[in-house]
Amino acid sequence: MSNPNTDLPQATEHRLEELEKGLFTSDLSVNEFLLIKEVGFHPLGFVMGSSIYHTGIQTRKWGQSQELTKLTEAMYNARELAMTRMEEEAAELGADGVVGVRLDVNYYEWGKDAAEFIAVGTAVKAEDGVSRLNQLGKPFTSDLSGQDFWTLRQTGYLPQGLVMGTCVYHIAHRGIGQTLGTTGQNVELPNFTQALYEARELAMTRMQDEATRLGASGIVGVRLEEKSHQWGSHTIEFLALGTAVTKTSDDITLAKPTTIISLDN
Amino acid sequence: MSAIRPGDAHLRDEVRRALAFLETPSSAPATAAMTSDLSIDEELNLHSISWEPVELVSGISLFSIPYGYWNWGQGEIVAASEAHSQAFATATSRIQSETAKAGGHGVVGMHIERAIHPTHVEISLVGTAVRPVGAAAINGTHIFTSDLSARDFTVLMVAGWEPLGLATGASFVFAPRRSMGAVIQQQSQNVELTNFTEAMYSAREAAMERMQRDALAMKGTGVVDVKVLEGPMHFASHAVGFVALGTVVRLAKATHQPIKPITVVSLNDLAVGFDAQTLG
Repeated sequence: MSNPNTDLPQATEHRLEELEKGLFTSDLSVNEFLLIKEVGFHPLGFVMGSSIYHTGIQTRKWGQSQELTKLTEAMYNARELAMTRMEEEAAELGADGVVGVRLDVNYYEWGKDAAEFIAVGTAVKAEDGVSRLNQLGKPFTSDLSGQDFWTLRQTGYLPQGLVMGTCVYHIAHRGIGQTLGTTGQNVELPNFTQALYEARELAMTRMQDEATRLGASGIVGVRLEEKSHQWGSHTIEFLALGTAVTKTSDDITLAKPTTIISLDN
Repeated sequence: MSAIRPGDAHLRDEVRRALAFLETPSSAPATAAMTSDLSIDEELNLHSISWEPVELVSGISLFSIPYGYWNWGQGEIVAASEAHSQAFATATSRIQSETAKAGGHGVVGMHIERAIHPTHVEISLVGTAVRPVGAAAINGTHIFTSDLSARDFTVLMVAGWEPLGLATGASFVFAPRRSMGAVIQQQSQNVELTNFTEAMYSAREAAMERMQRDALAMKGTGVVDVKVLEGPMHFASHAVGFVALGTVVRLAKATHQPIKPITVVSLNDLAVGFDAQTLG
């Protein structure tokens, strides 16, 4: 891309320069904006990263369950490119972190074999001037909403990074013999079960490895998504996503919640 | 208006007269009942900070895009981007003048309807004009517009911030093309399509930058609730549109006022425990 130092297009530089004139932009709602302010952070700007990526082809064996490493690699690589660019935009703004990160995949009509991977979020900076960069010296990223971020801070935790693990897996078809053999019976289908199990475990393990690299003590808000993208029903991407956190202070300022009964219907 | 007979249709004059009519909305008599699309809760919210709804106001604008701009080309479709921003600016100034006539100081809960056609861009804005309770009209000074709900407006004001207006930016571009050779060569590989990435990335940035410029012009210090809408045009799939919009805000009090939320646990049951009909 045009700027060799940061890998970001020229248009980004212009936009970020403008943001340094004392204007912030954010896709946070009013509620989220005020809650971020409440825990001592100020939004700096709406940041994003994108990559339009062409996924290669890998042959699958009809009757064999296996990980499709080339496709896994593509999914990883494309998301990393998008995430890294978003982090670069945040670093350019001097941010401590990015909250409310969303990862998305777009398909365009003119490029059926390619997909756009996009990461967006709001770059924030601590108002007390103390750096909140993560262990790697980069802005932390987190997919927590403003509300969740507020609650997390009340318990003395700080996000370290959005961690993910992915695994594209081909699940074997069942042979005619197997299908006929089990017709009319209640049976577990061990090959399907095992394949789904293994794929999920692989995705989760990879996510945990990322968290370990960040020196995190836990992962909150984990989601496990299953997507077939455009590969047909037997090839599935398992994506595990969560926010790695560490404890930064021992005082828990979260008050005991008040119980209410709402009289709304 | 006189009937138009075939033969002596002065269509241009008619359109001009219709436009002039739109420019000067009839002012409602002072005793007219207040209309608003706010809910009771929202109205109470407004009253909690001593504001009140005044009138339902609207602003509409259509801007033409010269013929032929959607055909194959390269880079940005400047005519479309400009039509979008001009239509938005005109619709905004109409809703502002209607608000001024009604005695409002600003518009909240604005619904934005946008339609992009091959030949024109249509923007229609409908919202509720609001003012501090009993305040006099403020002709001539700036009237804010915002798509924030009355509730959001209230919370924002309590925290010491004020909305200044809605900032928008649009950018319409052609998707670049890949040569047949490249398509075949890359068929089996994992590669980033850098020219596509850069084209889409830049277009999105351009839309956001225009929104930022809008916000700086309003002397805002922030834009909240930014939405980036994007997608191919239904009539020209090789053209992709990006529109960014958000509410420009500024600190109205000397400092940000903490809102000190309390945590609650609702003891209402969220769902019916057993429902046989949904089984299977």
